[in-house]
Amino acid sequence: MERGVVIGGVLISASFLFAVLLNNCAGDKGPLPEADAQPAPPPTQATAPAQSPVLDNPGFYLGEATLNPSERAGREIWYKSTAGNSRFHTYTFQQRVGVLIDWYRVLRSDERSDRFAAWGIINDPGCCVPGSQDCPAKSPDDTYGFDWCPGDEQLLQFVGREGYRDPACDFKDAPADTNDVHNRTKDQRQSSCDLAFGTSTGALGIRKFPNPRFNRERWLALNGTAANWSGYNGKLSNDKANSDSHVSRLADGSVEPPFLIGISCGSCHIAFDPLNPPADPAHPQWANLKGAVGNQYTRISEILSSGMTPSDIEFQVFSHARPGTSDTSAVPTDQINNPGTINAIINIHQRPTFQDEVVDKWRKVEACPAGEGQAKQGGTEACWCEHEGKCWQRGTRTETVHHILKGGEDSIGALEAIQRVYFNIGSCAEQCWVNHLTDLRQIDPQQRNFGQTPFDIGQCRRDCPNFRAIEDRLQDIMNFLTSSETHATDLQVARENELKKSNPRGTYTRQSFIADLEREFGAGSVARGREVFAGNCARCHSSIAEKDGGPFANRDFAAIDAKTGLRADWLGNDQATPVSGVGTFRCRALHTNHMKDHVWQEYGSETLRSRPADTAVKEASDGGRGYYRNISLLSLWAHAPFLHNNALGPELCGKPANAANDFYRSPFADAQGKALAGDAVPACWKFDPSVKGRFDLYKASMNDLLNPDQRVPKITRFSDDVPIAFGPRLWDGKEERQVVGFSVTIPAGATAGALGNFQHKRFADDLVLSALRPDELHAQLNKSLGEKDGGTVFKALNEVRTEIMRDPSTMIDEIRKRPFLLGAYSSCTATVENEGHRFGEGLSAQDKKALTAFLATM
Amino acid sequence: MKTPMKHSGTLAIVLVAMLPLTGCDWIRSKLHPPPKLQFAEAGERYLQKPDFARIEHEFPLAPADLMKLTPENIANYSQEQVDQIYARLTAGPIPDAAFDGALFFPKNSKRDRRISEIVGGLPGLAVELKSQKLETLGAQLWRGKVFDRDTRILRNRIEDLAALKPIIDDDLSTIEKINVGGKDQWLLFPAKLYCGQSLIDSRRESIIIDYAFTDELPGYRERPDYLAGRNGFQIRDEIRMVRPGFYLGRAYAGKAFLLNFTLYNHEIAGSQSDAFVDTGKVAEDCWIGTQERKLMASAS
Repeated sequence: MERGVVIGGVLISASFLFAVLLNNCAGDKGPLPEADAQPAPPPTQATAPAQSPVLDNPGFYLGEATLNPSERAGREIWYKSTAGNSRFHTYTFQQRVGVLIDWYRVLRSDERSDRFAAWGIINDPGCCVPGSQDCPAKSPDDTYGFDWCPGDEQLLQFVGREGYRDPACDFKDAPADTNDVHNRTKDQRQSSCDLAFGTSTGALGIRKFPNPRFNRERWLALNGTAANWSGYNGKLSNDKANSDSHVSRLADGSVEPPFLIGISCGSCHIAFDPLNPPADPAHPQWANLKGAVGNQYTRISEILSSGMTPSDIEFQVFSHARPGTSDTSAVPTDQINNPGTINAIINIHQRPTFQDEVVDKWRKVEACPAGEGQAKQGGTEACWCEHEGKCWQRGTRTETVHHILKGGEDSIGALEAIQRVYFNIGSCAEQCWVNHLTDLRQIDPQQRNFGQTPFDIGQCRRDCPNFRAIEDRLQDIMNFLTSSETHATDLQVARENELKKSNPRGTYTRQSFIADLEREFGAGSVARGREVFAGNCARCHSSIAEKDGGPFANRDFAAIDAKTGLRADWLGNDQATPVSGVGTFRCRALHTNHMKDHVWQEYGSETLRSRPADTAVKEASDGGRGYYRNISLLSLWAHAPFLHNNALGPELCGKPANAANDFYRSPFADAQGKALAGDAVPACWKFDPSVKGRFDLYKASMNDLLNPDQRVPKITRFSDDVPIAFGPRLWDGKEERQVVGFSVTIPAGATAGALGNFQHKRFADDLVLSALRPDELHAQLNKSLGEKDGGTVFKALNEVRTEIMRDPSTMIDEIRKRPFLLGAYSSCTATVENEGHRFGEGLSAQDKKALTAFLATM
Repeated sequence: MKTPMKHSGTLAIVLVAMLPLTGCDWIRSKLHPPPKLQFAEAGERYLQKPDFARIEHEFPLAPADLMKLTPENIANYSQEQVDQIYARLTAGPIPDAAFDGALFFPKNSKRDRRISEIVGGLPGLAVELKSQKLETLGAQLWRGKVFDRDTRILRNRIEDLAALKPIIDDDLSTIEKINVGGKDQWLLFPAKLYCGQSLIDSRRESIIIDYAFTDELPGYRERPDYLAGRNGFQIRDEIRMVRPGFYLGRAYAGKAFLLNFTLYNHEIAGSQSDAFVDTGKVAEDCWIGTQERKLMASAS
């Protein structure tokens, strides 16, 4: 049979998958600010600033009072440096990846008070709403509808003009470390300008830059006023029957917005200080913030798809990460739907390291050995010099490293782990890694981007100045992340701070703390809890093994390390555990991006990749995946809900005033997996970063942890029908007609993960093979699935192919009739997100209380 | 409502329609052999394709190399070679003139592979392979593009309007036209022009020819112009400059790669090439990235 005929007739089923690819451009239109009848006057003529631009207001710098110069520099970089990713978040993500961000919807100043509730992001205390008291900007037109922030008096002059001098150019670098081989004789660091700070948007960690391509006249023609974005982000049609109701000009690359928007590491990691939470989370003060706790409320996935509508496939598949989680393999997609928490960075000096790991990476050298002056990309040994005295040599050695990510990935060194965070946030995307990503539309394995290829650190260093600017200051960032800012946060201290708000001389002693806990959890509960912990938990959740620290039973888990002044025990051994052993939602453990030939290959050690597969899981778990490292229980009281996906415990929601920005969708299901309805649905808990709020959440989450039979299963589903049209349509003024092709609808209630994990390329190829080379396909399926299941899938593929050739619009139904097909072609078939980690379920009720009391002290 | 395009009967008919094109490929390869340029070694599978940054670093193209390329001979490289050339180009200036156009299917490419790509982004249409019919029509009718740099609007030059008549509304005489070489050509399928992201090489921008919002442009006629738009085939072209007056383009539908095309303006090529060879410099309207382009720099 002619292969083309088969493809033409059969591969239509692949369109199911191409749902993910369809680029139904859209943007949700929220309430608009009242249009100002008087457009803002043109900005004053830009001139090269003679004076240094304002870096920030004094409040920001209060936070560095206790830090040394290197820590201080690291803090400012962590909070502000985008390392050039504004291009990615303004152009590349939208145009190349195909997902739209409506930055105005997220950052509009008139919804500043609702921003935290809606998006979980934290308002910058240094910014203000134009027109509000003492705000330098008097009208939203002055700031294009955004908050006014320190440095904007310079920045706003350069909207639509070249010549902006980034505040990072005036960044106060720490003294160059002369112990660093690259700085031994002189400071050779890349220009700090390439750190690219811009100014705050009003939300911490989200930064703005003037867009020199902005055309004010065109903007006013489109939107009416400078502050009104409705022409840009509004829908083209209000009629839901018209597919233009999904479309906005956010998808029109010819429209240049006034700002390019970038994000810093702080966009996800800056959080409310558990020891000093804000009275009003929508209006925090600088003293309420810490840089590395990890924002437990951020809806970064919703932010990054804020230009899509709920009936867009991308929104439904990707925008359901729980608050405080992010699927960092969504953009560099591995087609495994697996949002995970933002790691809390606590007491890193005490965090376990692992010796003798085989690490192939670049290391600083002063000069290259003779004959190795040029990098040999793709080789195992290479050397490259940026210039004389600043070289790197690549090679394989055994080293002592951390295991950073959920499965222990990012294991070639702590500095490199920080370095890779910058790729997570989009830095050097164009120069270094977008070309290595999978294009979901590309189903020809002979074409680029059919699958991932490895990112090349050496190439990125050579070609991306922002990479070098960060790399040359990684130690500063590391020093900040090990500074006092990241020390554990004890509930006792938090309560004492609360007390001092009403009674500045008040104290809350250890004895008072224990007494309060024992009043709540029972007499002797803290001491008993320590015993329960030692007997049941410490084998994983202690960083000091019994061979090194003596029996757990005799251990003071709160003992102080005299050398660091921190608690000696990190309360986690960071050892990798096969996912079947812990039993939690396994999709994250099946993450592939650090495997050989995948995009982050160079950030995984050879030791990581040599771990054996977990044979107890049915999906592929080769290449070193299939594991979770256990986590630190330090400050656990402040970090509920639990598990790598925040799924264990109450569901959190912001309940924003603007209902269009309420992204909560109930995941609760019955034992059969059917969505719960009505009164049976547990209520979500409103974001509450107060000491009491955190502690209540901790207790409820501990209850779920220790009583797995009481957990209500959670399965994330589509909240809306998702119609997808394949082929041209015409709107006749009343209804839209499909000219050729067909339409399908993925119904509300479909499991989001099932679609996100579906391996459409393999499925499409097998459909073709089922007609062209059936015997070969049958043999392949038998080999991979076993004869029984292989035969079932083979038969089903033939049936599906026949049916959809007859009527392509039945595609979804035909596949849904055969749910085992989704399983056979899924990278992860797990559905219940809060299962597993049943350790402790057999404890007595009193011991469970005791354990809860004890852990609250840690 | 009239159906703007007749349903194609079978795939076979479409494939037969394509045969002349593949035959042309063979003849063209003999008449216009591709010049010897350096390419990185590439295998069949996606994992065996060399990274563009590496290609540019190890095998930079000099102005003299680019001067060897013509619209005729560039069509005779393999698709991988065309891709490697494209990745070593910059966008150059947004043009402001009429350009002659030619589209081409890659030498040695197999029909099934190309169809596979089409299917990737045109589900539904791919079933009936309307896109191929469109391409066939395109090869017969399309004569190039007219750029208006000031307004950032482009129109396509269509020579044989009779063939399109069944899908054009209203009075044909109202369609704007130009005269090229004594022949009338009609200007249809308007598109927006801007600097934007390449869908194959992220390292620097390309000039984007975007039909998504074609209905906002002056002179838009719903039929046939909607066919290229967001509710039609979702066409998006991108081009980079080979040398002054000569651009290499890639056409996408639904963000799936369809075909290559060239744009050529003899007058510009004739008047600006010498300076280009001497200096390697051209005006750049778009972001050129941060990777050093060694031979271009050395030419200056």
